[in-house]
Amino acid sequence: MNPKEYRYTKDHEWLCPEPDNKAKMGLANYAQTQLGDIVFLDLPAPGTQVEQFKKMGEVESVKAVSDLFSPASGKVLEINQSAVDEPKMVNEDPYGAGWLVKLELSDPSELEALMKIDEYNKYEAEASA
Amino acid sequence: MADTLNKTPLNEVHHQLRARMIDFAGWELPVWYTSVLEEHRTVRSAAGIFDVSDMGRVWVTGKSAGRFLDRILTRPVQQLETGSSMLNMMCLEDGGILDDLWLFRVEADRYLIVWNAAHTQQKHDWLSRWSGSYPGITIEDVSAETAMVAVQGPTVLQLKSLSSVVDLPRFGYKQTAIAGIDALVARTGYTGEDGFEMITAASDAVSLWESFIEQGVRPCGLGARDSLRLEAGMLLCGQDMDSSTNPFEADLGWLVHLDRDDFVGRKALLEIKRQGVKRKLIGFQVEGREIPRPGYQIQRSGQEVGKVTSGGYAPTLGINIGLGYVPLELSAIDTVIDIMIRSRAVPARIVNKRFYKRGV
Repeated sequence: MNPKEYRYTKDHEWLCPEPDNKAKMGLANYAQTQLGDIVFLDLPAPGTQVEQFKKMGEVESVKAVSDLFSPASGKVLEINQSAVDEPKMVNEDPYGAGWLVKLELSDPSELEALMKIDEYNKYEAEASA
Repeated sequence: MADTLNKTPLNEVHHQLRARMIDFAGWELPVWYTSVLEEHRTVRSAAGIFDVSDMGRVWVTGKSAGRFLDRILTRPVQQLETGSSMLNMMCLEDGGILDDLWLFRVEADRYLIVWNAAHTQQKHDWLSRWSGSYPGITIEDVSAETAMVAVQGPTVLQLKSLSSVVDLPRFGYKQTAIAGIDALVARTGYTGEDGFEMITAASDAVSLWESFIEQGVRPCGLGARDSLRLEAGMLLCGQDMDSSTNPFEADLGWLVHLDRDDFVGRKALLEIKRQGVKRKLIGFQVEGREIPRPGYQIQRSGQEVGKVTSGGYAPTLGINIGLGYVPLELSAIDTVIDIMIRSRAVPARIVNKRFYKRGV
């Protein structure tokens, strides 16, 4: 189930807003099922400035490599080192323990460009069809 | 998935299991059912079953069948005894590799070829071209009327339905009944584990498959088939070797017996051997977590020296490994090379390409 308070990109990343203009991001469930077993995460170092919908890293599964795009602009505060050490966490719990990057958002209005749950559920269903 | 893809007799079973299906050499086949890693580990620790019906199955029959096969194959078949099988190879006249194949001698004058899924028409044209001068030869492709599964892993010998074949020697085979289903069962495989491959009528394929599932054997897809064979250092034709590579540089010179009567490619292969190869297929281990994939450049001191032909994560070993061609002078064990992974040079070390060797 995709969490209803999260926002989503067309590339199947999610963003979960937190207080003080902070937000966590990660891979949506659809993305992890498409990739299969994830074995390597290349995430930006803390302090890196990222831009909305621009490449911020890479995700490698056993069968494929995929670019990771940032759902919003801002500064990388923290990366999930546990997931880097054990990437299967992203497969097992993509919306919880398998989060990827914590951001400080530079422009919270960018969230308007992301999909809300109803729109994303539809988008995901079409992608799966 | 495009409707133009070939479907094996087990296609519906794969869909019912909700496997992820992909196009493999024109066949719609499962790349995984639940997880490549779990399927891989199951074959290393227990038992898995693969639908390998994409492999072509061709009967060659007739008084001169042996002589004909000796003409088109690099390894002599006359010494192959009835009831046994061998790995063999077809080369083009210039010594390039057309395919590697398993050959079963079923009767004195009757052989079964099991070859790779790709380039089927080209290979049939090749057989027709050379069989003309051997009267009375029949070549019959039974791929569509039959199916083939592989059951692989350390616990296969304990499976009840295989009790009649546990005494088969390596590469031995017999025609027998498995769970009441007629099958040609061979002690062969492509995973680095013990196991069997079996050919049965297309109409019996689902029953045969289900009989193994009922015994707790896990369905495994192409993803695990690829990572298992790569760990075991087995080459994939069309990827690690093709018509632009010769058997000596692919480290398969042992399949080429030059000290016998003429066979297709012999003249060119003699010359290649006389001159010595300029490049060689090597195995390497990446010093890092990035995964090498087919087509990536191999560099040395900033210069391209070759290409990765196979690569991936090795689940049993927990490292990233690959195969590729490098110039002969760079092919020694422990030589350090760079793999270009998305414009980064990632160091790798040349190692024995039998990355995984099962304990005996």
